[in-house]
Parts: sequence; structure tokens; C-alpha cells
Amino acid sequence: MLEVRGLSHRYPNGTEALAEFDVSVRAGELVIVLGGNGSGKTTLLRCIARALDPAAGAVRVNGTDLTRLSGEKLRRARLDLAVISQHAALVRRRSVLANVATGALGRHATLWTALGGLPAGELEAAHRHLAEVGLDHLARQRAGTLSGGQAQRVAIARALAQHPRVLLADEPVASLDPEAAEDIMRLLRRLAAEEHLAVLCVLHQVELAYRYADRVVGIRAGRVAFDLPCAEVSREAVHRLYLSEAA
Amino acid sequence: MIGGAVPQQGKLVAGGASAMLASAARLAVLLAVLLIIVQALIVVQARPQDLITGIHGMADIIRRATPPDFSHIDDTFWPALETIDIAIFGTIAGIIMALPLAVLAAANVTPSRPFYYAARGLIGFTRSVPDLVWALFFVTAVGLGPFPGGLALAVHSIGMLGRLFAETIEHMDMAPIDALALTGARRLQIFTHGVVPSVLPSLLGISLYRLDENIRSSLVLGFVGAGGIGFQLLTAMNLFQYREVSLLLIVTFVIVLGAERLSAALRQKLA
Repeated sequence: MLEVRGLSHRYPNGTEALAEFDVSVRAGELVIVLGGNGSGKTTLLRCIARALDPAAGAVRVNGTDLTRLSGEKLRRARLDLAVISQHAALVRRRSVLANVATGALGRHATLWTALGGLPAGELEAAHRHLAEVGLDHLARQRAGTLSGGQAQRVAIARALAQHPRVLLADEPVASLDPEAAEDIMRLLRRLAAEEHLAVLCVLHQVELAYRYADRVVGIRAGRVAFDLPCAEVSREAVHRLYLSEAA
Repeated sequence: MIGGAVPQQGKLVAGGASAMLASAARLAVLLAVLLIIVQALIVVQARPQDLITGIHGMADIIRRATPPDFSHIDDTFWPALETIDIAIFGTIAGIIMALPLAVLAAANVTPSRPFYYAARGLIGFTRSVPDLVWALFFVTAVGLGPFPGGLALAVHSIGMLGRLFAETIEHMDMAPIDALALTGARRLQIFTHGVVPSVLPSLLGISLYRLDENIRSSLVLGFVGAGGIGFQLLTAMNLFQYREVSLLLIVTFVIVLGAERLSAALRQKLA
């Protein structure tokens, strides 16, 4: 479903953020990327989503290489790829329902949606997605009034409204309390299994990775340190990822 | 101990020198400020004694202006309405023209650099020319009356609103905008669904403040023939009808205060 091959990126100051990075995620699989600060985790997701242009490599979603696309073709390809960031990035003054429905805008090229209207059919679907994340009762509430955990659930519902095949999550539980973090990880696990999504999630919480991942990928200095089924990842290997950060 | 004392002494000497330099800099700033004030007094030919000798003239005008001539109150309704409507027209037309310019002039959403510089230039030009000059220009172009006043306020508002709108857009949280872009939404959809709802309350607040300012400006524009209560005020002064002048000043005061209160109340609701 998602196949990343030889992905490399260098920042304008010359720092090598990613080097020949390989990773693949199948439908229904939850792969968690672990690594220290500045190891290249966020850069990896941003390059996959083409928020950053990689210097080399390929990002294939269902066989289509995103790195070769631009303009309208890239926009269309992005419909298959949803991104959840550390902060939910909702439009605070709009309702929860409207925020979710905006996830589907890319599929509607009507004058109504260009003028700020929401496609009628998508509102019903938005209610369904909110129900999936357990927040349908907050549909009419302003997004700015939600707690961090609720906002992150709404961001996931917005991602579902996009009807993606791949879900990229960049530290989705970083600013949440342990209970809310567990909720979000359970939700991602369930969505991967039930919606057959390929989920690639960057995390800092090692324990959550052990509990929820199918596979764990370690990243150190922009390179793959290990890529193993969760059960085969040793504590020592994970520890080494963070040791290199301290060094 | 002795070996340690030498650098300490060196530090003390250096510290004393920097303190003296700081004092000298403060003195230089104080002298510069004094120089600016003195040159301003010379250039404006300030003569406080003239205020004392002119007190009889001022008292005479106040005596002739009281009590206000309320028999003309009916005649003030139409010019008052005209004044308010000049401001409403100028503000709405200004918003309509300033909004697209502000989008082009906001560094974070502008489609390209040439558009950015062109929009910034136009906003800067319309802002730097005072509204009174614009009024003189439009009176010459379309004749006397409230219409040139409305046009003058509209053009001047482009500059004021355009700059503030652009700054508001530049300072908004870009995370929701980036998130929408990554969903595959189109440019216009990102603008209407992300940018507009994020900045709308601030833009409305700025617009209401501008309306309040424009009502005050529209009173003055009448002095150059651009209609409204200012025009009636000028006529009454030219005819030495000081009691009517004081009535018009009371009406002006009520309009300005009312607009200010209404604008402040609406802006508070939006906050």
C-alpha cells in the first residue's frame, strides 16, 4: 500500500535529515517509527506527504510514485494519503462537524464548496466519522472549545472523511495525558484493522509502540536502524536509538 | 589572592568606563530630544502670549454661539444621515477593494512575489495620500456632494484596511491551512474554508473600527465640498451663524460618540 524507497532529504544548511530510507506499510498494518529528537522522524512523514520535496527516492501509494507528481496530479494523489499532526490543526472557529467535512473537500470541485459551502452529502458522512471516533454528540460544538484528546479525535475523523488508503500520524499523542493517548492509539489500531488503512505513526512513547504496533521501525540520524515485527524488537535496540541522541 | 586581584581591578576599570559611556549616551539622547522640541517650537512659531490676548475674541465667539439654535434641528437630519452614509459607503467599498488586495499582500498566502509587491505598493500609495486630498481630487472629478466624499473614504480605506487585513492574515495560525492543503483541497477551497473562518472575526473588528474612523473623517470632508454635516458647518461659519454652528457641533458630537460606542460594543461581541 505505502512503499518508501531510498528517501533522502537534506536541509538548506547542509544537514542530512534522511538518507536512503526504506519502509513499507501494508493495508491493515500499524507501523510505528521510533527515534530520538532530530533523528528525522517528522521529516520522513513530511517527505512522504510531499510537504517537503525529497532530494531522492520514491514514495509509492498504491503503485503511484508521489515524488514524480506536481500540481493537479499531486493534489489528486494526496486524496489517498491523510495526515494527522501533533496538534490537531482544526479551524478553531468552525464547528466540529464542519471541520470533519472539510476532509472531503478535495473530492468536490463545485462552486458551492469554492465559496465556502460544505457538500450536503458529506455532512451525513461526517456524522458517521464522528460516531466512529465517539464524538458525534459534539458535532455542533466549536472546535476551539475541545480538549486536546477530543481535538485529536476530530482530526482523525477529518482524515477518515478524506477516504484515504494511507494514514500518516506525526506524534499524535505528544500533548495528551496517558489516558487520552491510549484512546488515540486504540483508535488508530482499530482503524487500521477495520478500515484496512496502512498506518505509519511516529511516536516518542516506547511503551505505546510495544502495545499497539505490528512493526516497529527505528530511525537514527535519518537512517533505518532496525525494521522488525513488534515482538522481535529488543529493549536494548530501542535504548540505543535514544543513546545516540544523548551522544 | 594577589594574582586574583589584578584582573578584578581590570574589571572594575572596564566597568567604570562602560558606566561613563552609558551616562554620556543618556545625556546625548536627552539633548537630542530637547533639540527636537526646541526646533518644533521655533518652526510652528509658538506664541503662548497670543492665547492670552486672543481670549476676548474667543469669548466673543462663544457668547455669539450660545444658546444653540435648536429651531434648525430639522435641517440637520438630512446632512447627519448623509455624513453617516458617506462613511458606510466608503467603508463597504473600501472593504470590497481591500480584501483581495490584502490576500495578495499577505506573504503567507500570496500566489506570487510580483503580486505581493504590486499589492503592497498600491496599499501604501492609497494610505499615504490623506483622505482630504482624495476628496479634493474626487470633487474635481465628479463635482460637489456626498458621492466624492464616499469615494475619498473608500480609496483611503483601501490603504488602511488592506494593511491591517494583510497583517491579520500573515499572523494567523497556518497549521489548519497546511492540514487542509494536505487533504487535497483546492486553493480556493483552502482560502474559503481555512483562511476566511480563521480571520473573519478580526477582519470584522478592524472594519467596524474603520467605520468609526470614517464617520469622523466624513465630518471633515464636507469642508472641501464633499457633502454631509461638514459642508453645512462650513456654510454656517461663513455666514457667521454661530448659534447654528454650535447646534451642528452638538449633532456632530452625538454622531461621533454614538458611532464610537456602537463600534466598540460590536467589536467586544466579536472578540
